[in-house]
Amino acid sequence: MNPNPGPENDESLRKVLRQWAVDAPLPPRFQEQVWRRIARAEAKPEQGFWTNLAKQVEALVPRPRFALAYLSVFLVLGVTAGAVAAQLKTSKLDSELSQRYVQSIDPYKADTAHR
Amino acid sequence: MKKSILILLLGCLLGGAGFSGFYYFGTADCRWMMNEPQPELAWLKKEFKLSDAEFARISQLHAAYMPQCAVRCQHIGAQNQKLRELFAQSTNVTPEIQALLTERAKTRADCEAEMMKHFLEVSRTMPPEEGKRYLAWVEEQTFLHGRGMGERHRSEKAGQTPDEHHM
Repeated sequence: MNPNPGPENDESLRKVLRQWAVDAPLPPRFQEQVWRRIARAEAKPEQGFWTNLAKQVEALVPRPRFALAYLSVFLVLGVTAGAVAAQLKTSKLDSELSQRYVQSIDPYKADTAHR
Repeated sequence: MKKSILILLLGCLLGGAGFSGFYYFGTADCRWMMNEPQPELAWLKKEFKLSDAEFARISQLHAAYMPQCAVRCQHIGAQNQKLRELFAQSTNVTPEIQALLTERAKTRADCEAEMMKHFLEVSRTMPPEEGKRYLAWVEEQTFLHGRGMGERHRSEKAGQTPDEHHM
């Protein structure tokens, strides 16, 4: 093995390289990804937490799958919280009104309540 | 960035709308009851699934019962007050205190009998199953339950504390 080939070998290598053509297709959105990598690599390392977060959000949120999942989660959370809050309020009011009814018909309970 | 912000805001709006909608429809009964002239009777209508006719009849019974109940309440209150005064002045049970205790017991017995009559009348106005449930509920909630002495002495006989007895 010769680690330093002579100039004649160098010339033949150049010839081969000139004839070499890549015919394999590039992966989808290859260019966009390359530019994104370049942009990421050029980004200043001292960027703050919020800037990074904003960038990540900006990159993630517009993706249809992420957006759909995000909207669904918020909708489900809102609906669940609304149903639970309504249930709590109804139970509390039911309990208060039932006690009011008892106090209205039972003098002993009314007496206790007035003390 | 604008698109991301729009999607984030839309998520918050959807969550808020989901919360408000479910809360609004889930508390519709509460608003209806609180808008009635007597919310406690509206609660009775809802709880025991009364028809409008049954509810009207029970409202009448309630309206007829209330003034008598108020009179009895005042009477019991006056007797309690008098008893407190006599008790504060005495060192032992005088004939006057004894007479007042007897009179007070009679008033309470009359009051309890009137209450029971009212409960039974109300329960008869309800559909049979709901009437039974109403009686069981008032029995649990009012003087009829008899919490206290009876259970306490039963527990003492069994060598338990009242709390253990309930377990």
